[in-house]
Amino acid sequence: MVSFLAHNMTILRIFSFLIILFTTSLNARDYIIVQSTTSTVNTGLLDTLSQQFFLETGIEVRTIAVGTGTAIANAKKGDGDILIVHSKSDELKFIEEGFGVKRFDLMYNDFIIVGPRNDPADIGNANDLTDIMKKLSDPSYKFVSRDDNSGTHKKEISLWKNSLLQIPQDKSYIKTGSNMANAINIAGEMQAYVLTDRGTWISFRNKKYLKILYEKDKELFNPYGIIAVNPNKFSHVEYDKSMKFIDWLVKGRGKTLIDEFTLNGEQLFFTYD
Amino acid sequence: MIDISRIVEAITISLHVSFVSTLFAFLISVFLGYLIGTNHFFLKKFFVSLLGSLTSIPPVCAGLIVYLIISRSGPLGWMEILYTPSAMIIAQFIIIFPIMTTLIVNYMESEYPQIKEELISYGASKKDTLLLLLSNQKNIYLTVILIGFGRAISEYGAAAIVGGSIDHLTRNMTSMIALETAKGNILIAIILGGFLISISLLISFSINYFNKK
Repeated sequence: MVSFLAHNMTILRIFSFLIILFTTSLNARDYIIVQSTTSTVNTGLLDTLSQQFFLETGIEVRTIAVGTGTAIANAKKGDGDILIVHSKSDELKFIEEGFGVKRFDLMYNDFIIVGPRNDPADIGNANDLTDIMKKLSDPSYKFVSRDDNSGTHKKEISLWKNSLLQIPQDKSYIKTGSNMANAINIAGEMQAYVLTDRGTWISFRNKKYLKILYEKDKELFNPYGIIAVNPNKFSHVEYDKSMKFIDWLVKGRGKTLIDEFTLNGEQLFFTYD
Repeated sequence: MIDISRIVEAITISLHVSFVSTLFAFLISVFLGYLIGTNHFFLKKFFVSLLGSLTSIPPVCAGLIVYLIISRSGPLGWMEILYTPSAMIIAQFIIIFPIMTTLIVNYMESEYPQIKEELISYGASKKDTLLLLLSNQKNIYLTVILIGFGRAISEYGAAAIVGGSIDHLTRNMTSMIALETAKGNILIAIILGGFLISISLLISFSINYFNKK
């Protein structure tokens, strides 16, 4: 027996690796997977919340930062326990289709339009959003779109639609298919306009080519919802742990932490009273 | 201002994941490479060519394939390895295994005939031949390890897709460089990039150095 082992260590190692691989799934998970947007993660908010929640409960929160559309698609495939996104109509549909149990209002901030410092389209002096979108649809001004089914992208599309405009098809409409920070980067490099959430903008470090040109419009309200994935749909989801996290965020210490979270001295996210 | 601990974390994760994937790929490629290189079997030429062609699989596609398999909706979803370092190890393994095995096969095919005649005349057993092949010219094994490790640690895409780039867990050097560049934290990206370039230069240099006569 011993000599067999001694002469076959390699095979033994391979087998133990495979055994470990196959048996890890037999343990109950002590972590939950959150599918969320890039704005909640890249600002550092979810990291702060996760660390504090872990200290208080021992439950690890692992967050995947993708666009809203991707987060929802991933959750529908069962690759997540919780959804935190900002597209209320899609969130409600998620629940209608049986994938989620209940939607809770988590927090809100707003969208802003940033653009080149010299504001060639002169939207700083515009009257309202319709006026602005009309100006931005002009092919002489560049506009950067996320084009990734994210909450911000969906908001952008609704802005075009509400101004009764077609989504531009010309070369001045730049479809990046990327996360918010990347889109802002591209807008800076190409001296284009872009719609962004305020949180990502505040945490963005390369601001010298852009500035805020329009903000504080009712229509630019940006609400985030949080939903636990339905355990009846996917038996493997950690529903109890997820609800613990959601309660902590909506009614508990998490809510305070969201309000206290600042970057460069500014509050990024606001909770409901 | 700069969070050193995050940079160290990313470097540690990269080293850990790539080290393990290279180790497993090395052990299995030597084992398989020996078997393939020293034996003849039906359709051997076809399989060896196929293995060679897998060398050029785009890394991000390897990531996609692994993702489809280990996602909940995939056949191995129940193993719960998506978004873990294990998944990154598997993806990197798939990327580096073909080239490592191909190199070993080529080595065995050139060395084995040479020593086979000698050893048979000395009455050596199969096991002795294997040991001799494993110890002869250690440079080939070092080269294979370095090539595999170099590819694994510098790859971006596969590990990011299956790992999910989770903070403190699966965010390795390459995904962190991409993320921090996008966020405008150019300094962090440059520091990490510097480390990565140094590691990969060290590896390339070693490969060349140990192969010079």
